[in-house]
Amino acid sequence: MSGLRSGKRLHPELRFLGLAGPGAAFIVISLLLPLLSIVVFSFWRTESYELYADWNLDNYRTLLGEAAYRTFFLRSLVTAAIVTAICLVCGWPVAYFIARWGGRYRLLLVLLLAAPFFTGAILRITALQGLLGPIGLVNMTLVELGLPPIEALMYTQLASGLGLVYLFISFMVTAIYLSLVNFNFELLEVAKINGAKPWRAFIEITWPLNWIGTAIGIVLVFIPCLANVVTPRFLGGPDATSFGMSLSQQFGETGTWALGSAMGVFLFLASFAVILAIWPTIKLKRSGFTGAVQQ
Amino acid sequence: MSAGSFGFGRRVAPTAIILAAGLVLLYVFLYAPILYVVYTSFATDVVWPFPLDFTLTAYEDLFASSLYGEALSNSLKLAFGSAVISTFLAAGGAIAVLRYRSRRRGLVMFLFIAPLFVADLLIGISILAFNARVLGLPGNLVSAMAANAVQGTAFGFLIILAQLVRYNWSMDDAAMVFGAGPLRCFAEITLPTIWPSLFGAFLIAFILAFNNLEITFYNLGAIPTLPSVAWGSLRFGLGPELFALAALVNAFVFAIFAAMYGLMKTGLVKFGYRGQ
Repeated sequence: MSGLRSGKRLHPELRFLGLAGPGAAFIVISLLLPLLSIVVFSFWRTESYELYADWNLDNYRTLLGEAAYRTFFLRSLVTAAIVTAICLVCGWPVAYFIARWGGRYRLLLVLLLAAPFFTGAILRITALQGLLGPIGLVNMTLVELGLPPIEALMYTQLASGLGLVYLFISFMVTAIYLSLVNFNFELLEVAKINGAKPWRAFIEITWPLNWIGTAIGIVLVFIPCLANVVTPRFLGGPDATSFGMSLSQQFGETGTWALGSAMGVFLFLASFAVILAIWPTIKLKRSGFTGAVQQ
Repeated sequence: MSAGSFGFGRRVAPTAIILAAGLVLLYVFLYAPILYVVYTSFATDVVWPFPLDFTLTAYEDLFASSLYGEALSNSLKLAFGSAVISTFLAAGGAIAVLRYRSRRRGLVMFLFIAPLFVADLLIGISILAFNARVLGLPGNLVSAMAANAVQGTAFGFLIILAQLVRYNWSMDDAAMVFGAGPLRCFAEITLPTIWPSLFGAFLIAFILAFNNLEITFYNLGAIPTLPSVAWGSLRFGLGPELFALAALVNAFVFAIFAAMYGLMKTGLVKFGYRGQ
């Protein structure tokens, strides 16, 4: 005990634990243990809305065996991949513009990107439906003009995907921006002086040095898209049921928690696989964070 | 090609113009629905509100509705509780990580950031299952506060960390040398400097919990909140009161962001922003 106390003062390690301990314990209790508990429940059995602890693999058998779950999962996976790609392609130029040419409006531009995210998924989808839905502005304008409404936007997977881009593109732009804002753009001048064409300079300098922001953006968009419940529910049609929708039904209407837990484990593993795949590509030493941070 | 102006050269690079067009398109995509919702919330006919037949009926109905009133009061309580928990835990974590060179710093960083990489749905159902089956707790306002604080802590941690990176801890050391206890030192030296970042973390955690659907839904049982009532109402299609609600919540969020922007620009408060 005396080793941990120097004079009247607490040992720094104890103070560190005193400050960070409550938060760390809170995350363990409210995030890690619950995730662990659904791993356990996924090997149990539900009968008339009750969980029974008889260990079996039936939930995983159902999950892998039944075509419906495979379809739901593949649909979510493909949607998440496409939406992430669209966010990436549309997000990069915007983040680049704000970081390089935003000047004194940088902060304003970034806050304007971030703010809509905080109104929550339901009200954002309400707004999107007000514009693009069956009685939305676009379709009603077409009707007023005597033209047929755009069928592709009414309860389709396209509409559901568009809704996801709307919900999460802010994450992508912000993540890339936060990397670019620490990037030293003078490196591009050096490349130009040495005869590199702009595209070559982008591919060999800007892109690799800002990969960390891009990677974080990809993960932050992909994970919620994979678990998405809300957009297919309100914007997608009958053939848009996602893995997340089916999962949430297990915890709602059908009350099959054990199967739902197995689906949750599956979802978590899929998200984790993406993080694991992207992790080795991140080299902190080669990111803009070490290059040009003004200390 | 050769224009390549640096920041504010006289000639603007063609690339910059193309990228600016992309920026404008993205803002139109993000804001057209919001502006249309606000406009339509004042219309009698929400299906074709042209020309605008101005009315406040939607707002009057919204305020008169006891369901929305109850939901608002629940959402406010939930958001406040969750934000208080998040701010305390996040501040402790951020100060610990920046101030002490512990071997456990990496682990603490990992734990505080981990919630950002777990989807809302998974947080919601796993806490529901854990509380119900392992702890035997029913869903109520307190468990929903805690569940929402998981993400709030992660966001708060990043916000506080971003500003405190620049904080000079030798001021605290000086105070301690002159005999101030840790609590007095925190109250008189640290807090007056860092309160804006704590406040920023509090606001973000508040808004997140206030508008969260999935985490709250699974941990509140049958207690209504604004997002869950909006969800229930959206199932029956767009109604005037949804337009009014969306307009009000947008106004609320933008007022907070405008205040934060104003404070950052005047240099009064930083919220982790370093300026140019």
